[in-house]
Amino acid sequence: MSEAEQLGKAIEMKDVSKQFPGTIAVDTVSFDVQAGEVHALVGENGAGKSTLMKMLAGSFNDYTGQIFIGGQQVKLHSPSIAKDEGIEMIYQELTQALPISIAENLLVGRLPRKKGFLDKKRMVEESKQLLERVGLGDLDPLLEIEEISQHQAQLVEIAKALGNAPSILVMDEPTSALSRDEVALLFGIIHKLRDEGLAIIYISHHLPEVFEVADRVTVMRDGKRIDTRKVSDVTTSELVEMMVGRKMEEMFSKRVRTPGKEKLRVENLSRYGFFHNVSFSAHEGEVLGIGGLAGAGRTELARAITGVDAIDEGEIFLDGKQIRIKNMTEALEKDVGYLTEDRKLFGLALRLTVGENILSALIPRLVKNFVFSSKRGAGKMKSLINELNIYPPDPGRTMSNLSGGNQQKVLLAKWLAIEPNVLFLDEPTRGVDVGAKVTIHKAIEKLADQGNAVIVVSSDLPELVGISDRIVMMRKGHMIGEIPGGEATEETVLLAANGEGRYVNAG
Amino acid sequence: MPKLDSKQNAVYWIDRNRIYIIFLGVFLVMSIFAPNFVGLRNFTNILRSMSLNATVAIGFTLVLIIHQLDLSVGSTLSLGAVFTIGFRLMFSELPPGMAWTLGVVIALAAGSLIGLINGLLVAKAKIHSFIVTLGMMIIVQGVIYMYTDVSLSATTPADFALSDFMRMPFLDSIRLLTPRILIAILSVVGMEVLLKRTRFGRNFYMVGGNRDTAWLAGLKADTYTILAFVFAGFFAALGGSMVAIEMSSSPVDLGVNSLLIVVAATIIGGTSMMGGKGSVFKTMIAVLMLETLFNGMNRFNVGTEFKIFASGMILAGVVLYEAYYIYKHEQLKGQRAELLKELEDGRKT
Amino acid sequence: MPDDLNQQQPAQQNSPPGQGNAAAAPPVSRELKQSGLNLWINRFGVYVVAILFILVGIILFGGSFFNSKNFLNILDAVTLLGMAAVGVAFVTYSGHFADLSIPTTMALSGYIAIELIPLGMFMSIFTGLLVGVGVGLVNAFAVGKLRANPIIWTLAMAYVTKGVVRWVWLNKQIYPDIKAGIGNEHLADAFINLYRIRIFGSISITVIILIALVIAAQFLLKRTKFGQQLKVTGSSYDVARLSGIKASRVVGTAFLISSLTAALTGIFITSLGKVGAYYNGEGYDFNAVTAVVIGGMTLNGGRGDIIGVLGGVFVIGLMRNIMTLMGIDTFSQTVVQGIVFITVVYINARSLRKLGRDDA
Repeated sequence: MSEAEQLGKAIEMKDVSKQFPGTIAVDTVSFDVQAGEVHALVGENGAGKSTLMKMLAGSFNDYTGQIFIGGQQVKLHSPSIAKDEGIEMIYQELTQALPISIAENLLVGRLPRKKGFLDKKRMVEESKQLLERVGLGDLDPLLEIEEISQHQAQLVEIAKALGNAPSILVMDEPTSALSRDEVALLFGIIHKLRDEGLAIIYISHHLPEVFEVADRVTVMRDGKRIDTRKVSDVTTSELVEMMVGRKMEEMFSKRVRTPGKEKLRVENLSRYGFFHNVSFSAHEGEVLGIGGLAGAGRTELARAITGVDAIDEGEIFLDGKQIRIKNMTEALEKDVGYLTEDRKLFGLALRLTVGENILSALIPRLVKNFVFSSKRGAGKMKSLINELNIYPPDPGRTMSNLSGGNQQKVLLAKWLAIEPNVLFLDEPTRGVDVGAKVTIHKAIEKLADQGNAVIVVSSDLPELVGISDRIVMMRKGHMIGEIPGGEATEETVLLAANGEGRYVNAG
Repeated sequence: MPKLDSKQNAVYWIDRNRIYIIFLGVFLVMSIFAPNFVGLRNFTNILRSMSLNATVAIGFTLVLIIHQLDLSVGSTLSLGAVFTIGFRLMFSELPPGMAWTLGVVIALAAGSLIGLINGLLVAKAKIHSFIVTLGMMIIVQGVIYMYTDVSLSATTPADFALSDFMRMPFLDSIRLLTPRILIAILSVVGMEVLLKRTRFGRNFYMVGGNRDTAWLAGLKADTYTILAFVFAGFFAALGGSMVAIEMSSSPVDLGVNSLLIVVAATIIGGTSMMGGKGSVFKTMIAVLMLETLFNGMNRFNVGTEFKIFASGMILAGVVLYEAYYIYKHEQLKGQRAELLKELEDGRKT
Repeated sequence: MPDDLNQQQPAQQNSPPGQGNAAAAPPVSRELKQSGLNLWINRFGVYVVAILFILVGIILFGGSFFNSKNFLNILDAVTLLGMAAVGVAFVTYSGHFADLSIPTTMALSGYIAIELIPLGMFMSIFTGLLVGVGVGLVNAFAVGKLRANPIIWTLAMAYVTKGVVRWVWLNKQIYPDIKAGIGNEHLADAFINLYRIRIFGSISITVIILIALVIAAQFLLKRTKFGQQLKVTGSSYDVARLSGIKASRVVGTAFLISSLTAALTGIFITSLGKVGAYYNGEGYDFNAVTAVVIGGMTLNGGRGDIIGVLGGVFVIGLMRNIMTLMGIDTFSQTVVQGIVFITVVYINARSLRKLGRDDA
């Protein structure tokens, strides 16, 4: 019997369920976490993990079933009740007030007071202490959140949860915006907290992280709990099998592709302050990967080339001819597309239907004699829905009612619909389940096989290595090197992303 | 080379304190060029004309801070004035002091009730505040005309005594301030302290800055939303009520242009249309700036018509400036300092 | 204001998790039925309300309500509102709430039209409409290009144009016959008769224009590139921009249409009243928004159509007519209209929320 089990169950959920209009998100799930344990929760998008955890955080007042904390039954019907029970949650999407200072975000709801008035001095001091715990000791706590970077904000979020001295800590994909060093720091914090006797629930898509940080792992699928195992007793492929409900497929088929002639060439392109003097070329029938750490300027580069942002200097050649793309409308006219990184903010009109979204970049081409007809795009829409296995296969369904993976497929369908000759894909599978990932990769490869230039920006190393015929590397706004497809491995790419290794150009 | 503003930046400092700079500018220009502008009596006049809109703007600013909108404050202030006089007349058998008190209390209660209904509809029924308060603006206007379609006036000498008290500088040492001005300034300062220096007040900013954060932190976001609207109704009615007492009457067209001035002042004063940012004190200074401007214009015999035009232009100018500022800010967001430095180094060599 | 002013509590508002992996057997069992009633209310609600009002009218007043003369009265009473509402509908559909500058645009176009009567009818109307183009372009630039807050911006513009009108004409009203001058009486008459032209003996020209406007606008909204791009833009400005849509131009066009129909309405109002006055058009802002919103367009944009807006206009007309027949004074009518306005939005928002499209 381990020490963890002697401490007893910190939290136990018995047959809990939660229903949304249209779906049952969590279906009679039982789940428990010991004190002094890191318990990983895995499953595909839409499996119900986040909903289950939001239940713990008091986000719902209409769940069914029982929840016990330290053996006592509780009704977690509001966030404040959950807080009183010592539950803290770190959300996947940042939940901070942008125009408000870091200090007030950290101490929200418990700002220090002296004689009824705010004690600003103590507020700053306490904030500093919390920031130090996550390695941000140098940050001025009076800065507003909108002034700091996204990964700093993510760390602030973690500091905020720690500040409430929780006994149960839920982390939903806390590492998605963090660098390697910051992840290591976070894991150090998690292990320390575990040793102090906290119960920690860790949600992640990234299975290597699960093996590194967790003691036990619970797999969910379709709103149900499939199994709970000790991490030491389970393998990656077993986990994946449980998550998808079938054998793990060969995710990346290394194909042999012979790139054709040069399609797109970029010379000395600069957008001041974002990236400088970037040159590269992409060929017909090639998947070109752009690697690098978050903030290396990859997204900015793709946006500038496709006319979303202005270019300050440099030239772009398409089929050998120099072109000027002033806005995205012109990019589209030249069959150049850009699938954005953030599907909720920039990619999809969530309140429109699946069909309307698929056709949204295609509108000018569905007009004949000033009359628009969506019927002209219906055939294409149908075949894309079939090809990408979009579920439900109903073009009339409102976008927001689809799961993350299916939303991402619709986003891809929207760009495939314009039949691009050059397509930039920015994080094409972020936050997407394994099944959707396979479908999306197949579609990307097919597009390249048809003789188009596909340029993939991805922070998912296995994906980048697996799908690219060639990888160019960016670091801190510069193009620093190139890795031929045959030699690209997760290690070489990671090394190059950090400015090391033999693929980095000298000087 | 454009750079993102930081705390140390002079531009940032100027933007934060722009309202004081604008006010001083307007004040200096008028002092130099406008005939008969400088003088205690005239300054008192400016402060008096500030009192109404500064009081009403407290609520509008607060509602904007929680990221909502209240278009009904203009109607509510008229209602406050009409009810104060109306109920004072209704209770005219009672001693004047008692009757006035009842009039004011009923007016304030009515204003708060309007705010409460607005707040409930926005927070609980989840209707957009633009719809709710636009509808409420019309409803309240209708109610006022149903109540009376003439300007009400008090008649007895005792009423005028109160009116005189409200408008006379009550201390020889501070000749600038009359009781009504003092009530307005104290309301603003009181709310400023509440909002800036107490946990309760900061929670409004949190709710406005990010409703989810506030809710997840266990703050009752709905309650703060409702309270903000109640404050808005209360202060609008208070502003109207005080004017009514001072004038011993309630003109039906009182506050016709208040909405414009209140909106303009709130935004010129730096309250963010995106919520989570703002100051009732700066709003008051902005009202003061506008009234100083109008007062100065009067010295050049400029009519009300031009003032409407001018304040419309000022509001338009500030909204454009804000929009442009955000537009630029968005474009520069994410610039890397080391790349900018590299560029500068490149230029030098 | 951004469009998320009224969200549900954060957790509930997240999109319900979907059905997981499509390659695996789709777990159909997890789907629940959506209420057909809510879907129905959402689609046809406004015409149901209109029919209800007609039934109420018949029950209360019988023949004095249900006859062609009264119906023509109702039609006449709402045509001007209808024209203005069609324009505002584009702004609402674009996700920018409403155009509060239409009343003063109406007044201004009326003044200009009267001033130019001596130059002939064409110039008078043309220049009047040009006022709309002018105001519309300014709104288009500020809101479309610079992303100024539409409510606050159009409020500011309302005061600017109001200031111009009152300042230039010094609060005075102007009359077609006086402006036309001696010897030009026929021009003044032509202007005054503009509103009074009747076709087939009884149908007012404004009704014909409204019908034409509704058909054109419905076509524009549903069957053209502009309309489709406006829908995407209305649903999300950023998404539209990153879908190769010139979002600022699309939004700007919506504001331009709104100002243009306002100017047109303003000319007719002036012709009807035979006077150019700064108060011409007062109340049209609120009434137009009411019609648009009752007609099923949501403030979040990209939803609803012009046929619905026309229904909204009818509902307002019927409601007013019945209340007048009941002897209710105009102030009370305003109060009732305000209450109906808020209630309808509530019912609409609620049914959308029940449908899982909780965004209204």
